[in-house]
Amino acid sequence: MKPVLALDQATIQFGGLVAVNKVSFELEKGDLFGLIGPNGAGKTTCFNLITGVYQPTSGEIRFNGQSINKLPPYKIARLGIARTFQNIRLFTSLSALENVVVGGVLRTHVGLAQAALHLPHASRSTKKLRKEAMELLEVLDLADVAHWRSGDLPYGSQRRLEIARAMATQPELLLLDEPAAGMNPQESEDLMRTVRRIRDEFHKTVLLIEHDMKFVMNLCEKILVLDHGEEIARGGPADIRSNPKVIEAYLGEAV
Amino acid sequence: MNFWLVRILSIGAAVGFAWFLSVATVDAPTLLGPRLVALAGMYVTLAVSLNLINGITGQFSIGHAGFFQVGAYTAGILSGLYFKEGMNPMMWVGLMSIAGAITAGIAGLLVGVPSLRLRGDYLAIVTLGFGEIIRIFVTTQQDPLINGATGINVKPQHNAVFLSILLAIACIAVCRNLLQNAHGLPFLAIREDEVASNAMGVNTTKYKVIAFVIGSAFAGAAGALFAHTESFILPDLFKMELSFLILTMVVLGGNGSITGSVVAALVLFYLPEVLRGGEGQATMAFSGPMIVGFFVGLIALVAGIRHSQQRHMSSQAAKFGFLAFTMGAAVLVGVVVSLLAKASPNLSAAKYDVNQLRMVIFSITLVVVMLVRPQGLLGHREFGWGLFTRKSATSEVQA
Repeated sequence: MKPVLALDQATIQFGGLVAVNKVSFELEKGDLFGLIGPNGAGKTTCFNLITGVYQPTSGEIRFNGQSINKLPPYKIARLGIARTFQNIRLFTSLSALENVVVGGVLRTHVGLAQAALHLPHASRSTKKLRKEAMELLEVLDLADVAHWRSGDLPYGSQRRLEIARAMATQPELLLLDEPAAGMNPQESEDLMRTVRRIRDEFHKTVLLIEHDMKFVMNLCEKILVLDHGEEIARGGPADIRSNPKVIEAYLGEAV
Repeated sequence: MNFWLVRILSIGAAVGFAWFLSVATVDAPTLLGPRLVALAGMYVTLAVSLNLINGITGQFSIGHAGFFQVGAYTAGILSGLYFKEGMNPMMWVGLMSIAGAITAGIAGLLVGVPSLRLRGDYLAIVTLGFGEIIRIFVTTQQDPLINGATGINVKPQHNAVFLSILLAIACIAVCRNLLQNAHGLPFLAIREDEVASNAMGVNTTKYKVIAFVIGSAFAGAAGALFAHTESFILPDLFKMELSFLILTMVVLGGNGSITGSVVAALVLFYLPEVLRGGEGQATMAFSGPMIVGFFVGLIALVAGIRHSQQRHMSSQAAKFGFLAFTMGAAVLVGVVVSLLAKASPNLSAAKYDVNQLRMVIFSITLVVVMLVRPQGLLGHREFGWGLFTRKSATSEVQA
């Protein structure tokens, strides 16, 4: 089977700093893949490479076999890669519902002229998007606060709203950048269930970055460890936990 | 309800309203006369269309007078070339406003495409430059059709009340529709976070250019109406001050609020006109001590309101009580100071009438509003919108 996402020797250099150095990995459909490593290891830079925020200096990134090296972010999003952000980037003064609706817009074919004249086609499509958005908010347990200004939501809800917004694009591949950051144990447990549900019920492939080791080890089936932009280990949770290089660079003796 | 029925009724209502104003203003006193009402409609159009660019899409453009001028001169030049006596003036002016919209829209595209690809304040600088370039370019053209700094007569003179009001309504309707529709939400999303919008599949450059072109086109259409209403245009009418006045309307009304732009445009347009007073009319005169007292009282009032905003009042009643107390105290301080000022012979001899003070009052109003409500009169709120209601955890969120 063709991999959903393939990084082939992906490298990016900022001046003298090689932020990501010849990183290669592949995601099969339905994978729950974890990307871990110490701060500054190049995890978020990897996400930025995949989503087109940066273009790789060398190497190639393929999505369903198609090279996406040179595509701008909005085109990559339309191909079916959605992401959340480490430092939450919601549309703060819009409501939670509107945030999710924006995520759905890329799937529709309504011209701006139709929207400007408020023609029936555009309002029908708006209704449909709002209904779908509401369903997604229910999945992520945000239905009660659908009409809140998103910037006023508690931190944990904002993280979940980012996931809902990304899901609204109906992506094939979902990139989650530290989804559990700042959550309490109960919240992160709930989130774990939600992410698993997204994979199982919505059939998404998930790639996530996380520092919460309990979260990663319980959730991800495959893990890749980066340090200084280079791969230092990969494998299942058990292999990673006992890998001496990973312990030295990241986990420490205690784990 | 049937979509087309509603649509036809609302268009009918808009046309009826514009027609009513055009008839009702004919014999009205100057303030409500055809010229000022037509100009008010144009200012509303200018403010709302700039709001689409600045407030809704979040791109900082400060050259709106430039696009207004492109529209005005398009109408002036085309009328000079092709207008013949005997043509229906209203039809001709309507045609000219479409022509003005097209040329200004094209100008908007030419300015927007290169500068909107960039993020940040580049657009502000480019639009500022554009406005000045257009004005100076026109000033230097000696061709009789443009006539440089001297300006040109635009025929036919036509008080475009009907068209101007209709244009303002159209502009408001387009912006409102865009915000009511899911498909217009990306404009707001870009204002909120460009990176995230891009990651959600929004072609941010395209949306920004579209907002900019729509905004410029409306300004151009208003410019054409302006040329015919005033029937005389010269480059000095389109100075940078005009751009800043329009920008002030948008900011004062609340960046992003269409209702706010409309209200602020009307207030800022009419305030100097109301204060102007007619010729030969007895205008109110103030003595020096009264003015000094008024300003001191005003400062006390603003300080009090600022203070009440910074302190957390336990209840609405406490807030209200404090406000009432502040107002009383401010009036008292004002009276006392003005009585004290009477002691100075120079001040008590001085007399100013409102006409002399109108620009001072205008500026002070702006400063006071910005101090008391930095998010603008309406903030992000709109009047009478039910579709996307935003509730917030705290009842009032300061921008």
